[in-house]
Amino acid sequence: MPTFKLDDREIPFEAGDTIIRAAHRQGIDIPHYCWHPGLSVAANCRMCLVEVAPPPGRKPLMLDVVRWDHEKQDYVREKKPKLQPACQMQVAEGMQVFSESSEHVARARRSVQEMLLLNHPVDCPICDQAGECRLQDYWLEHQRSSKRMHDEIIHMPKAQSFGPTMVYDAERCIVCTRCVRVSAELAKDPVLDKRERGNLGEIVLSPGRQLDHAYTLMTEYVCPVGALTSKDFRFKARVWFLRTARTICVGCATGCNSFTDYDPRYDKVYRYRPRENLEVNKYWMCDEGMLDYARIHEGRVLAARVAGKTAAYDKALEKAAKLLRRVDPDAVGVVLSAQHSNEDNFALLTLARDYMGAGNLFLSGKAPGVGDDILRHTDKNPNTAGATALSTSSPPGSFADLVAALEAKKLSHVLVLGSYAADPALADALGKAQGIVALATHEGPFAEHAGVVLPVSSWAESDGTFVNAQGLAQESERAIRPLGDSKPGWKLVAELGRSMGYPMSWKKLKDVRGAMAPEAGAALAGSGASAQQAGVTG
Amino acid sequence: MEPLDLDLDDSEIKLPSEPMLINVGPSHPAMHGTVRVVMELSGETIERCDVQVGYLHRGFEKMCERGNWSQVFPYVDRCNYVSPMLNNVGFALACEKALGVTVPERCQYYRMILGEMARVSDHLTAAGAMAMELGAFTPFLWMMKGREMIWDLLEEETGARLTHSFGRVGGMAAPPTDGFKENSLAVAEHLLGIISEVEALLYGNRIFLDRLQDVGVMKAEDAVSLGWTGPILRASGVPYDVRKADPYLKYGEVDFEVPIGEHGDSYDRFVVRIEEIKQSMRIVEQCTEKIPDSGPVNIDDPRVVLPPKEEVYTTIEGTIRHFKIVMEGLKIPAGEVYSYTEGGNGELGFYLVIDGSGTPYRVRIRPPAFLNTGGLEMLITGAMVADVVPCFGSLNMIGGECDR
Repeated sequence: MPTFKLDDREIPFEAGDTIIRAAHRQGIDIPHYCWHPGLSVAANCRMCLVEVAPPPGRKPLMLDVVRWDHEKQDYVREKKPKLQPACQMQVAEGMQVFSESSEHVARARRSVQEMLLLNHPVDCPICDQAGECRLQDYWLEHQRSSKRMHDEIIHMPKAQSFGPTMVYDAERCIVCTRCVRVSAELAKDPVLDKRERGNLGEIVLSPGRQLDHAYTLMTEYVCPVGALTSKDFRFKARVWFLRTARTICVGCATGCNSFTDYDPRYDKVYRYRPRENLEVNKYWMCDEGMLDYARIHEGRVLAARVAGKTAAYDKALEKAAKLLRRVDPDAVGVVLSAQHSNEDNFALLTLARDYMGAGNLFLSGKAPGVGDDILRHTDKNPNTAGATALSTSSPPGSFADLVAALEAKKLSHVLVLGSYAADPALADALGKAQGIVALATHEGPFAEHAGVVLPVSSWAESDGTFVNAQGLAQESERAIRPLGDSKPGWKLVAELGRSMGYPMSWKKLKDVRGAMAPEAGAALAGSGASAQQAGVTG
Repeated sequence: MEPLDLDLDDSEIKLPSEPMLINVGPSHPAMHGTVRVVMELSGETIERCDVQVGYLHRGFEKMCERGNWSQVFPYVDRCNYVSPMLNNVGFALACEKALGVTVPERCQYYRMILGEMARVSDHLTAAGAMAMELGAFTPFLWMMKGREMIWDLLEEETGARLTHSFGRVGGMAAPPTDGFKENSLAVAEHLLGIISEVEALLYGNRIFLDRLQDVGVMKAEDAVSLGWTGPILRASGVPYDVRKADPYLKYGEVDFEVPIGEHGDSYDRFVVRIEEIKQSMRIVEQCTEKIPDSGPVNIDDPRVVLPPKEEVYTTIEGTIRHFKIVMEGLKIPAGEVYSYTEGGNGELGFYLVIDGSGTPYRVRIRPPAFLNTGGLEMLITGAMVADVVPCFGSLNMIGGECDR
């Protein structure tokens, strides 16, 4: 592996790497604003300047500069080496780079930071970026002094609405053009551009257009300062109160890796952020997925119901158990959920197939939606592949099949995990069932028509494994505690099974995963590592 | 039982008896702070005793782990609450040692003057309370008058009589007020007058001397083994004062003596404190001459010192500096440091374990009063009940420092 030297440390690099990318691979941070590992190189912020020793046999390139000398109270001439931007300089074998150990680099970083803050408004108390702002962090690390300009800052337009999701503040903007590049390179819609130059530089929309493509929230995500803020998150929460869980987005079958930011004091989720995964979503997420966190708190079923009226959880559980015990298992349609994790689906399958002896399996979820060739999948369910793979012996029927079976009176009862009808037009046919026991997270056709509704926790309230469209099994961490009376799906199914008299002894998630492992293989059990193929029989 | 008239001579009759267990409970006017002493008495003599501390444990060291470095100052204030400035200064010095910075000269002298005033306040309380418990109310009230003068001075400087929270990492919360030097000198003069009156009243008093001399004797070797420091160690003859042994601030540049006792009894412990008050006033006089009249009190390190408010409201750098210090805490570089000063009761040490984030990982306070109270059992075992009060008073166990 070829290496180069960064501050007395040997760093391996791959062909074509720039200094900053090779250092980034090793976890070394060279301060930067405009560089992003997922975007093209712009090299306009000049924060990543490093000193590169000249190749052997050559003299260093020195520039004539003047420096203010305090004792002489005059400028003196000096020479300083020409520094190179680490984001643009390609690495060669044996190159010597000085970053932390060079005084010129320290002075350069101080100066760049001073320049960036020169016309910056005093907005920290009202800026959403406070607490995760690179200007703040780099000021403390690299500048630590006041600026030398004593004039009023240049005033620019503030709080401009850029579209349905974004607000732009030109005073805070450092014109790094990350947002311009995200729109052009990720969303393939070059609607943003830079206007003017110098301290009048700002970002503008193309004439007559709005920032309305499907990845607008990524412009907020890449913005290192508070210039671009999302209308959804503005002024909602201060980031130092939020904790983070590593989760999987459940908006579609792509299974983008995400961070879920929540406030543990109130068990409230405030936003998603993309998590890097070069195999699945690289560095990005779509707007639909980013805003899907609202579903954790909206439209939820948080209390048990019997015959449409709120009931105590224990009473409802008893009623459901009684109902299912006296029914002929062949007349029960068991509906798995493409929205729920492998563990939840496995629990229901075990109860239905192994204990009750009910073999009529169906699969429901959200209806398909809009997809593209960037990130979005038309299947708006995170775990179609996982639920299908689990019910291996008989692939599950569709929602339409369920409705047909109900109308033909082949089935009289339904035991369903999930909240959505895959074919909303046919949803009313559920009224034909004599009794429905719904283990639901959200309001929907199943919760509406069910005789007994038991509240299930959402994906954010329990660890779970989801298999995406590529066949990768990915684990999602729990963020908040179960809301209301809800319980994780697998736990609820185990309690229902015990209530029906079956020896379902699972108390913890690892019991469920342990039961899944010999059947489905490490991939489906979600041991934390993703596997290539999840179509394992078991 | 044998007949009473057999073997009867003029000596006493031996009656079978058991020792009596009494409890000088945590809630007791003569138990300074809250301490429980369970004693087994045989007549008036204490055969065995069990000193139980901890009634004022408030979990300070753990609480420090839940905040920032600057939020530790109110906690250390309430440790030795009769000399809070010494605690503040001690902790600030520990943080500055970890940072590797020295505060400006003006701040050093300021800390010394306020610290010595706090020390005097501590000694006045200890000595005064000791005298009062022996029945001498008048000297007690005179010393309280002196203490009030000190607290008035501190209120003028810091805004609070007792729990100032005035120290800061890198300096003090505010510069000296305009009349500070004159006020300090006036207070010093008054205090010396009060002390001479107290001496005149007490040192010739038969009762006072009988109750304190040769009572509660602690030998030097025993005192050192117990871990005693401060006035009570010096009363036992060991010349250890952190200000002389390992000078900090400007203690190496001022003239003062350290009074050493000979007998190690309660009387010596009392006199050492009175003499130390006089020496502290000498230090104050010298510092008021040396303190610069102008110049910064705080160092200018943006990592730890808050910027002036005008800068916070008008410049982005000021706002960011303020934000970083307040929201993330002072960024003291990771490491471990032990820093010690001469507190009112002895060597007051702070052992800091720093992990580089703005929150302390561990703050361990070496409380001189805790180790001093460890010697109480030895002092009073074999003494009489009436000796407990002056012995315990001479140890100056401050509950806040002992238990934290």
